[in-house]
Amino acid sequence: MNLVHILFWFLSALTLFSALMVILSKNPVHSVLWLILVFFAISGHYVLLNAQFLAIVNLIVYAGAIMVLFLFVIMLLNLNKETEPKKNVWMKLAGTIAGGCFLISVTNVIYNAQTSSAELVNKTTLMGKGSIGLIENLGKTLFTDYVIPFEISSVLFLSAMVGAVIIGKKK
Amino acid sequence: MNAIIISALMGVLMMFTSIITSNKQVIKNVALIALLFLLVGNIVDTYNIFSIKVDTKGMLSFGKFGLYFNTLIIAATTIFVLLSGNEIVKTGDYAADYFALIFFVLCGIAILSSFNNLLMMFLGVEIMSIPLYILTGSAKKNLKSNEASLKYFLMGAFSTGIMLMGIALMYGATGSFGIQAIKLVDNELSFTKVMQTPLLEVIGLLLVYAAMLFKVSAAPFHFWAPDVYDGAPSAFASFMATIVKAAGFIALINLFFLKAVELHYLWKMVTVLVIITTLIIGNITAVFQQSVKRMLAYSSIAHAGFMMFALYAQNDIAKEGILIYTVAYSLATIGLFAILAKMDDYSLEGYNGMAKTQPLLAFANAIFLLSLAGIPLTVGFFAKYYMLAAVLKFSGGFGLFLTITGVVFAAVSVYYYFRVLQAMYFKEGDAKVADVTVGFKLGLMLCIAAIIFFGIFPDVLLAWFYF
Repeated sequence: MNLVHILFWFLSALTLFSALMVILSKNPVHSVLWLILVFFAISGHYVLLNAQFLAIVNLIVYAGAIMVLFLFVIMLLNLNKETEPKKNVWMKLAGTIAGGCFLISVTNVIYNAQTSSAELVNKTTLMGKGSIGLIENLGKTLFTDYVIPFEISSVLFLSAMVGAVIIGKKK
Repeated sequence: MNAIIISALMGVLMMFTSIITSNKQVIKNVALIALLFLLVGNIVDTYNIFSIKVDTKGMLSFGKFGLYFNTLIIAATTIFVLLSGNEIVKTGDYAADYFALIFFVLCGIAILSSFNNLLMMFLGVEIMSIPLYILTGSAKKNLKSNEASLKYFLMGAFSTGIMLMGIALMYGATGSFGIQAIKLVDNELSFTKVMQTPLLEVIGLLLVYAAMLFKVSAAPFHFWAPDVYDGAPSAFASFMATIVKAAGFIALINLFFLKAVELHYLWKMVTVLVIITTLIIGNITAVFQQSVKRMLAYSSIAHAGFMMFALYAQNDIAKEGILIYTVAYSLATIGLFAILAKMDDYSLEGYNGMAKTQPLLAFANAIFLLSLAGIPLTVGFFAKYYMLAAVLKFSGGFGLFLTITGVVFAAVSVYYYFRVLQAMYFKEGDAKVADVTVGFKLGLMLCIAAIIFFGIFPDVLLAWFYF
């Protein structure tokens, strides 16, 4: 039980706790704040798995951009007790089914991995060992196997920029 | 690879042109020269005289069919700029940028005609679509244009999402983005075979199919087309209805039968359903339109149904047919829209008595309409002929049924095309048309000559393909 393992258990507990708080807290703004904490904890897991790139992107995209959008939407909706929409039975049923499907698929993945719990413990942290999520490897793949789509996507961004300028200008 | 690189560079060149000059005629001429340069670049690539070789890691592969299709598309764009160039520069203040966007669309089309990989297909579709959202809304003061642009953008974003979902599912099923990995290729009618194919792959391919059908405005996904074509500035509407639509078909053909092997028999049933609904909705709704622009929008849906025949038949005649259809449909529709843009009134009454006031324009309109209706001696006839022949040659299945449906709806289409003819030649009125230049008239003559020439010798088009 070294430091990394302790970190792992701490982060796991934090993730589960804040994920629960997302659902349990009554105030939607608090939910979003808890969700940000979830993303930070998951990013911590990525770092433990030696996947720095994923960790950073997770923070920038989810905790940064998407959560800000969430907050905006919640603020614009101006939710309070009086205007709280009634949740009908069908909505609850659909939610249960969707969540159940996700649970099944996640369990399936873990079950099919067929690793014993002892092996699993060794794989919880790959600090300094794993190499999949390294920026170096990603860059190599991006500039060898995927160099064509990578370069061509610049045309896509260029056209989007031209369009944004045309539409955004006053005249 | 020439077409992809040159068109992207030409797009950048057009952007720089706007820094140097603000003279719209100069910009238009630069665009024309750039288009000709692109055309030559693609032709020398087709015949291996000079081609930029890039190791694409198997993500793009350049067959003669795709390259020849590029040539046809670039030539059609050149004619489009020749005829509608003045309308393009008049739509707004950013003439050079509109041409830049058109070049980016061509870049996307060149990718769509050569992709070997779902990732490249997605990029191609997006590079083709995003400039179109902007071109649709380029008449910024016009509310209808704004509405059309927003509608097109939202719908297009949904369809992109659906396509990405499909690609993700197919990646999950096959473990690769390559279209060779798609395994739904058996040509046997057996239920057990279908049940054995992985469900993820079936759903994934269906989603990608649906998203592409949206791009070509085939029937269950056609609802955006009339509003967008109606709202967009006429010049860009004709660009979207012809060149971009043909590119959508080349992507479908690339995906379904050029590189992957033939599709499963049951998939053809899906295609048949799409064809029949497209023909019914496109043709029947076009009959009731009072505005010629809207009628052309519905007729473009109907023609999408005809082009789908190639997807059903999946044989050599179908390949030749789609090339001829592209030429026939593009020439006629670009011409019709170019004249429409000069009209005062887009409704049928606006065409009344046009033969008296503008005999040449009326005659050109007449030839274009005849070609769209598929009357012999115009290339439109051979386009339809090749499509029907391809379906008949595909033995068994719904061949005969489809052919009869096609002929019936071709007859229906004659009705609404001839209503315009009737208005022009047999009704009294004074159709108001803006002044046209000599160059415009020459361009129209060129179109008419091409339509009649290819209508008598359609082999010439194909000879270039095989030569």
